[in-house]
Amino acid sequence: MVFLLLAGKLALAATSSADAAHLHVQLVVPASALTSGGSADAGLYFKLEPGWHVYWKNAGDSGEPPRMKWTLPDGISAGPLQFPVPKRLPLGPLMDFGYEDEVLFPFQLKVAPSAKSSPAVLHAKVDWLVCREVCIPGKAELEATRPVTNQASKAATVEPDATLYARLGNRLPQSPPSAFKAGFEPTATGFRLTLITSQKETQASFFPADQNVLDNPAPQKLTPKAKGLTLDLKKDANLTTNPGQLRGVLELSNGRAYEIAAPAGAPAAAVDTEPGETAATNTAGPANSAPSPSTNRQASTPGLVRIVGLAFLGGLILNLMPCVFPVLFLKGLALMQSGAEERHRLRTHGLVYTAGILVSFWVLVAVLLGLRSAGGRLGWGFQFQSPVFLSLMAGLLFFLALSLAGQFEIGLSLTSAGGSLAAKQGYTGSFFTGVLAVIVATPCTAPFMGVAIGYALAQPGAVTFAVFTALALGLAAPYAALTLQPAWTRILPKPGAWMELLRQVISVPIFATVIWLAWVLANAYGAAVLAALLVGFLLIAIAGWFLGRWPAQRWSTIIAALILVGFIGLSTWAPKNLAAAAPSSSARSGEWEPWSAETVSRYQSQGRPVFVDFTASWCLSCQVNERVALTTPEVRKAFADANVALLRADWTQHDEAIAQTLASLGRNGVPVYALYVPGEASPRLLPEVLTPGIVTDALNKLPRGATQPTVASSNLQ
Amino acid sequence: MAARSRLASSSFFAVTLLIAASLSVGTQAQSIRVGSPAPDFTATDSQGRTQSLNQYRAKYVVLEWHNQGCPYTRKHYVSGNMQNLQKEWTAKGVVWFTVISSAPGAQGYVTPPQENAYLAQMHAAPTAVLLDSDGKVGRLYNAKTTPQMFVIDPQGKVIYAGAIDDKPTPDTDDIRGADNYVTDALTAAMAGKPIATSYTRSYGCSIKYRD
Repeated sequence: MVFLLLAGKLALAATSSADAAHLHVQLVVPASALTSGGSADAGLYFKLEPGWHVYWKNAGDSGEPPRMKWTLPDGISAGPLQFPVPKRLPLGPLMDFGYEDEVLFPFQLKVAPSAKSSPAVLHAKVDWLVCREVCIPGKAELEATRPVTNQASKAATVEPDATLYARLGNRLPQSPPSAFKAGFEPTATGFRLTLITSQKETQASFFPADQNVLDNPAPQKLTPKAKGLTLDLKKDANLTTNPGQLRGVLELSNGRAYEIAAPAGAPAAAVDTEPGETAATNTAGPANSAPSPSTNRQASTPGLVRIVGLAFLGGLILNLMPCVFPVLFLKGLALMQSGAEERHRLRTHGLVYTAGILVSFWVLVAVLLGLRSAGGRLGWGFQFQSPVFLSLMAGLLFFLALSLAGQFEIGLSLTSAGGSLAAKQGYTGSFFTGVLAVIVATPCTAPFMGVAIGYALAQPGAVTFAVFTALALGLAAPYAALTLQPAWTRILPKPGAWMELLRQVISVPIFATVIWLAWVLANAYGAAVLAALLVGFLLIAIAGWFLGRWPAQRWSTIIAALILVGFIGLSTWAPKNLAAAAPSSSARSGEWEPWSAETVSRYQSQGRPVFVDFTASWCLSCQVNERVALTTPEVRKAFADANVALLRADWTQHDEAIAQTLASLGRNGVPVYALYVPGEASPRLLPEVLTPGIVTDALNKLPRGATQPTVASSNLQ
Repeated sequence: MAARSRLASSSFFAVTLLIAASLSVGTQAQSIRVGSPAPDFTATDSQGRTQSLNQYRAKYVVLEWHNQGCPYTRKHYVSGNMQNLQKEWTAKGVVWFTVISSAPGAQGYVTPPQENAYLAQMHAAPTAVLLDSDGKVGRLYNAKTTPQMFVIDPQGKVIYAGAIDDKPTPDTDDIRGADNYVTDALTAAMAGKPIATSYTRSYGCSIKYRD
């Protein structure tokens, strides 16, 4: 009988820890005694076998968090489990939130002044779900006993509870500081969460507290901003009404994580503020102040109409860039040759050319958006960072220029096959001329395009398409206008012998473009790669000779095609195997240091202004600006007088740090000229087309005291 | 001739547009929206027959994602709850598909004879059990857990998607007091009434898709 009683008692006595399938669970109460009228920190600790996990309060797409049910003596109560910052647990197409290896869920024990029973038996029923490939629900009964005393004796603790709590009890998300402001706005696919932290944030991950609001597996696109960040979140497909608040945990870099409840609407302050309005310079005023005189800093959200208009204008201007003009001339030539044709034929040519440009832009944008959603940070001009692409482009233009110069006729062998093919060649030719115009236009980021592209790539897909469509239409407009407005064809000169001369003359700017491409390639990848390209040109010239010497013969066309294939192979092989280490362009001039974020901070902490030239060897306007405005004697003197530190960020080959910095400045292409003024959090941006006067004006506007004691007043320009 | 080339250009144009448009939508699986048409599928059942959703136009269809090893599924089978639902609703003309999307070698995967033996042992009465080991149907519906339920009306619209009931536990005790969302949806729809809860977060084990 006694034996049975004893056995029963033993069975009833739970301990404070238990081993279960794939985990060890423990009730953690560090205090050796509970003080009446006080409270005590406590926790629920799980140690998990490798690969097994338990879940956050919102487990995500599958899973359930652990729960506790208490049996407590009178006067003692336990608060709810608190959840530390979780990890993302992807599972195939699902996304869960939880913990691996070990986790401690803190909670508070409150002891009323009237609490009597000593010792207090704290009894809990815990149940959980632990999963790896399969899920195993588990439960345990845990018990801890602590005396209740009247005196506070905080010093005495119990092991291993105290060590466990000290190590794992401080991983809860914090309340955000009062300076933080958050808000969210609906977007086409979900929400844009904006957080203002007064510094640029480059890492963020949002864990929603409420289920069925967000699409958990969707990637969260982070846009760092000068004073914080925005995070694009995809909503649950079945969300019918937007929530009033986005609640959850936002994890930033360096282990910071905050429990936020972002209300609908943009936060009160701006997340990329105008220069001159920082917390340091504002004493009593609100965070917003009048916009600064600098017109180059992108305003928070320019109207869509204005941006689309600017994009159209940018496209028009692109026609004037040396990258595009030769192609326009080519088509103008063809147009003049067909000046006597039917009006509708001309119109169709114009439409097909426009279609070629539109489709190329759309394909490019679709690829960009696809890559963007994959998390890459790529900007306009990125394809020129590939040496293979550069070589192929140079070869293509060389081939074209040879034909214009008269070595051979393109399409002759095809037209001999029949009249229908000639017509086909015409439309297909127009279409692919449009495509060519886009490919070659890309690295010439015209002045107005910078803002439009920077804006559009941060917007949802539909807006990006609208902006790029406007860009494409602007690019296509001049030629399309010529074909659509029949009257204007009369303005064009009548066909004649001069056309052949013009054709040969046009080959000159195309050859010039080829030289430029070759120079870019040589600059970035070395003389060996240039030599390989020149060998490629020889191959092309030989192919052209075949086409010219034996025109319209199948066998000669085949030989020429084979030689061209050889050129393609050479272009693909050479850059990878012959490239020399890229010489940094800063080696050219001792005054300019290579850029890095740390260097900028270092000079800023010394109180010096910093001028950063974001450039690339393939960026023509960058090269022009450098020669015209940045390296002239007067400008160099102005820089020296103002004690400006000069840094050059070379983006010729894709550099992640530079790409991120460009994005944080609201741009995604080069050139960008940033002047960091001491005392201002974000830099002043200069226009994309520089003159010495613009640079010296900007230096003159530096605040007194930012430069050396003797401020030289420049009487320049 | 000119017309043909124009057609060729414009079809190239259209195809590129479609590709571009689909790329712009994103790279994740499409979610099922309650109220939108249920995507059609074809699958082989445990009796070797080919089943497709469109065969059952003009009928209510219930899709039940299943994994016999998952504790949450076992809760509804060991207690007889799921079998009762199947009998009750198939008697009223509802087509009930149990879908198994576990990859070969993963928990829940069964061969046809194994599944038929399980059905007999559990006295389960679905219209058919679809063996979806390559996960096509699961991914088409973005099914996440077992159990997960979809109810489709005779017009082919999804009218309920989510959990089987409102008690996300593995305890059979929690069945009796639970609000069964499938019963609610079918009862309301058959009476011509609006469905109170048409979308919930499903609970259960994650579906063990093939990689």
